[in-house]
Amino acid sequence: MQRLSSALFLLGLGLLIAAIFRGMEFGTVAPIVGQAINSAAAEQVGAANFVTAVVLGYRGFDTLLELTILFTAATAGGMVLGKRSPTAKRDPDAGFILQAGADLLFPLLVIVGLYIILHGHLTPGGGFQGGVILASAFFVPILARPGTRMSHTAVSTIEGLAGASFIFIGLLAMFGGEAFLTPLMGQGELGALLSAGSLPVLYLAVGLKVGSELAGLLAQLSESEAVD
Amino acid sequence: MNQLALLVALPLITAFLLPVVNRVSTLAARWLGPLVLLVTSAIGISLWSQLGDSAVAVELGGFRPPLGITLYADRLALLFALATSIGTLLLWPSRGEEWLRQSTLALILAASGSGLALSGDLFNIYVFYELVAVVSYGLIAARSSAGSFAATVRYLIVSSFGAALALTGIALVYQATGTLNLAQLSQLAPTHLNNLQGLAAFVLMLIGFGVKAELFPVNTWVPEVYATAPTRVSGLLAGVVSKLALLIIVRLLVLVFNQPEALTVMLVLGMLGVVTGELAAWRARDFNRMIAYSSIGQLGIMFIAFSIPGQAGVFAGLAVALHHLVVKPAMFLLAGRWQGSLDRLAGAARTSPLGAVLFILLALSLIGVPPLPGFWAKLLVMVNLMAQENTLYSVGAWVIMGGAALEANYLFRVASSFYHRSEQQTPPVAHRTRDLATASLLGAGLVAGAVLIMPLADEIEGVASQAANRDQYVQTVNPEALP
Repeated sequence: MQRLSSALFLLGLGLLIAAIFRGMEFGTVAPIVGQAINSAAAEQVGAANFVTAVVLGYRGFDTLLELTILFTAATAGGMVLGKRSPTAKRDPDAGFILQAGADLLFPLLVIVGLYIILHGHLTPGGGFQGGVILASAFFVPILARPGTRMSHTAVSTIEGLAGASFIFIGLLAMFGGEAFLTPLMGQGELGALLSAGSLPVLYLAVGLKVGSELAGLLAQLSESEAVD
Repeated sequence: MNQLALLVALPLITAFLLPVVNRVSTLAARWLGPLVLLVTSAIGISLWSQLGDSAVAVELGGFRPPLGITLYADRLALLFALATSIGTLLLWPSRGEEWLRQSTLALILAASGSGLALSGDLFNIYVFYELVAVVSYGLIAARSSAGSFAATVRYLIVSSFGAALALTGIALVYQATGTLNLAQLSQLAPTHLNNLQGLAAFVLMLIGFGVKAELFPVNTWVPEVYATAPTRVSGLLAGVVSKLALLIIVRLLVLVFNQPEALTVMLVLGMLGVVTGELAAWRARDFNRMIAYSSIGQLGIMFIAFSIPGQAGVFAGLAVALHHLVVKPAMFLLAGRWQGSLDRLAGAARTSPLGAVLFILLALSLIGVPPLPGFWAKLLVMVNLMAQENTLYSVGAWVIMGGAALEANYLFRVASSFYHRSEQQTPPVAHRTRDLATASLLGAGLVAGAVLIMPLADEIEGVASQAANRDQYVQTVNPEALP
């Protein structure tokens, strides 16, 4: 019965895909919205990186939800992941070279991460990419010294406050009578570091949230006991 | 009307802050979630009273559609956003070891469910749908048993597959029209999507979103998940989340895919759902699985009802959906202490007399015995099915009749075993007071619905006629025409 229904399902799916291939003209897209954004973004949003204009401006609401998906996955993961028994063995610390390398890398990774976050509205990059680099900055030392613990209190506080400030900035616009998530503080000069209004602040919140979330999740993974 | 965004933003900001608040005061963290849901429910009710026959659109970020994302609220959207808030409040997770994480997830579910109902942008709907999916994985796995993990993994695979199909459908629509705004799609559909590619896109989205609406054949996750998840979560998924997925499909049908073939696909899949669901429920030997399969059957009836063209279909489908929204969570609440083999239930009426009476009331309404609301809802579906010229619709009517006969058989079998004394075994323990109180509240709502059936029907018809009004949607959102 199950095989039969699977076969029927596959057959239907095949027919669907065949129908799509028959009807679709390849290479022709009707880029109504895409073109409109290309011509309007510089004036409407003021971010030199149009991708950021879309991610935080036109579709900032989607980005908030993407952040929430990450947060939800981390929360659910924390519920499912095993806990460590106090007697469980830990990996020994790495050798001198790896430890020294980790110490050297830490400040570099923090600077690169923050740079990428703060220039997200000007050049490719932004909160998500920079946040991941920040997370790795804090996780590399743990790889070098598996005995060290990351402070869960600090991580989850930064995570909560960063996420809340994204929404709070959106709500601020509502206090001013505008719609939720309307960019604030004017646009400034296109291409300047201080431009595109509240978008860089939003990206900072995104970066801190993504960074702390990922670092926390990685730390929790490394702390949960391996099942042999 | 700007407050519309608060229905999403308030639960989300609370969810983010809950772990921080808990560090300051556990008591505050325990009560903050339900309090915020009370506030969002109040906002929803006040918006409902302001709305009347009009509809409202909010341009998020201040960008005109189709460039920005729109939230659209007519009474249908607001009704389901409210149902999500109130439903989550009623089925708030019970206090356990992981109460903080569960409360966080429940708040996110309330936010994403409301957003799903209100969103007027196809891709935004997809993101909300993904969020609902990820939240439900977490909530289902909350019991941390091997069985619930296995069920979650299966659900995760089916659901991701569905999401991929839905995304393919959305990509097809975007390829053909170049926009994602539902109102603009509605304008472009007659010229751009009234073809094979449009139909293929609809079927992909139907199956993709149908995963949560327990549509045949992507409902294989249902019995296992509802048998192993916490009963309150099962009630939320079967009662509220399944209707939200259905709501998206109905919106797509009304606004974009106004093709007879699309309705036929839905009708056939709905009939298969009724047949397979009711037969499986009839054969089930486990209480939770039985109501899980019966829920597949009920959702099948909704798919059949919504496949009736025009306002009549929306009205009939909405009536069945709202009835199920009240009945199914109550049944799952009763399943809290009755889960496991049906044989264990012998003599359950002795330990839980109120529970037994409630179950019989819910079962009668589910089967469709007058004068309970379930009867009127089913009658409405049958009358409208019979009024259609296409013979396939009359087949649908007979399928629903047959399903009701099977339902009567297995539900009465269970109900009679409650009053059957068995000397060998002890009956199951009495229900928790909180579960029983919530279930009684829902049961009381059902009885109130039976008493006030005429004004209620008028109200639902009003909601349905507004939901079927394509022009109002387009005019309210008023997307800018682009070259």
